[in-house]
Amino acid sequence: MAEKTVKLKIKRQTGPNTESHWDEFEIPWKPGMNVISAMMDIAANPVTKDGKQTTPIAYDSNCLEEICGSCAMLINGKAKMACSALVDHFEQPITVEPLSKFPIVRDLAVDRSVLFENLKKVKAWVPVDGTYDLGSGPRITPQQQEQSYPLSNCISCTICMEVCPQFNEGTGFVGAATISQVALFNDHPTGAVLKEERLHALMGDGGIHECGFAQNCVESCPKEIPLTRSISRVAGQVMIQSIKDIFSS
Amino acid sequence: MATAVSPNPKTEHTSGVAPLRAGQGHEFLLRRLHSLSGIIPVGAFLFEHIVVSNAQAINGPTAYANQVRFLGSLPFVLALEIFGIWLPILFHAGYGFYIWYRGQSNLINYPWMGNWMYALQRWTGGIAFAYIIWHTYTMRFTGVDLHDHPGASFGKVQLELFNPAYFAFYVIGLLSASWHFAYGIWLFAAKWGITIGERARQRFLYVCMALFLLISGVGLASITSFRSHQQQPTDPAGAAVVEHSQVK
Repeated sequence: MAEKTVKLKIKRQTGPNTESHWDEFEIPWKPGMNVISAMMDIAANPVTKDGKQTTPIAYDSNCLEEICGSCAMLINGKAKMACSALVDHFEQPITVEPLSKFPIVRDLAVDRSVLFENLKKVKAWVPVDGTYDLGSGPRITPQQQEQSYPLSNCISCTICMEVCPQFNEGTGFVGAATISQVALFNDHPTGAVLKEERLHALMGDGGIHECGFAQNCVESCPKEIPLTRSISRVAGQVMIQSIKDIFSS
Repeated sequence: MATAVSPNPKTEHTSGVAPLRAGQGHEFLLRRLHSLSGIIPVGAFLFEHIVVSNAQAINGPTAYANQVRFLGSLPFVLALEIFGIWLPILFHAGYGFYIWYRGQSNLINYPWMGNWMYALQRWTGGIAFAYIIWHTYTMRFTGVDLHDHPGASFGKVQLELFNPAYFAFYVIGLLSASWHFAYGIWLFAAKWGITIGERARQRFLYVCMALFLLISGVGLASITSFRSHQQQPTDPAGAAVVEHSQVK
């Protein structure tokens, strides 16, 4: 067997409440291979290293170019986007596990709906729906665009939450992604109408105060979003809001 | 505004991390009080205790005795101790342990600088608290009472510092407390939205490290002074002599 191969060790479980186990695979190497394409090759021939027939691996993925945010998983122990995780950059066997802080659906597919719930709680949108045409919105200055654009790059991959020591079942911390979206929509001239509500939401249990400033979020964000800057800015807005509340409620 | 209402397909959350409890609970207040109490009054007391009061040890036993007598003569001194020092420290430590307990350190997989500091902040806090409890017990609640006999202070501290194990505990306690305070100020500025930018935080980190060096440096110098003097008396008669002799 002179052919170059790729060894993968994948943590699997058939359903939300079943025991997990590890399957090892050894598949032919291809140039430019990434973890998702490796799992596609496994799906084409789902046989483990020991020759045991198995099922294709279940995982979420879509765009395969690190823009949809679906395929976050633990690769060699670290949360990464599987589509941009080139196998040549990892020590083998490459271990692949589901994100550890989200309920498992099957194999590597996890339920990350908590992020969507959090985004709804902070009203992370610009309210423009209505019964008549509101006309064009206010102009956004180029300087503001420069600040907002990086925040709009969030792909909801939840890596910032997975790597956060404060994001767990004990704290129920909201996580960096949601806080950064609050920064984005509070800055928006039309979105700012909901600013106060967003800040009040972040004062609830599990809110921005749970941040321990370990800064893993900003280190691991695949889109290099300045998450700690967002957290600090929004924390300042929350503090100012809370002081206003003391004197105006 | 109808558009401000959340589209509301209620989904069940039975497992995993709970979503944000918007508008519920008091943890925001407690957490911010915890953060603030670390600076005022606990941090302010730490600074006073090490950089102002105990630094008098460098000026010798009599100067030290005078400083202790001055502190002991403050009006409402017991109330100051209870509400300005003990209760704030107990709150800060108690809530701090609660924060520590709920966090899930993950240094092995993510050994980044900020993550190390996150862990270190918890360990230094824990060590400093253990030291403070022991230190308060031995200095304030056992042995010769220093409010009554300020002259015995220097000797009482010396008794501990001449013991190698206690000496080590003093140094570790000092370094832990000053690190915890200095980095705590940095965290405070970041978490209260004062140092927003990356470079601002970097620069402020230098300021906080300078503060750490100042407090721990002065503390170590004071400890050295205690150890470089002969054992001073701790009995009331000897204490009176120390207290009333001329400052060198």
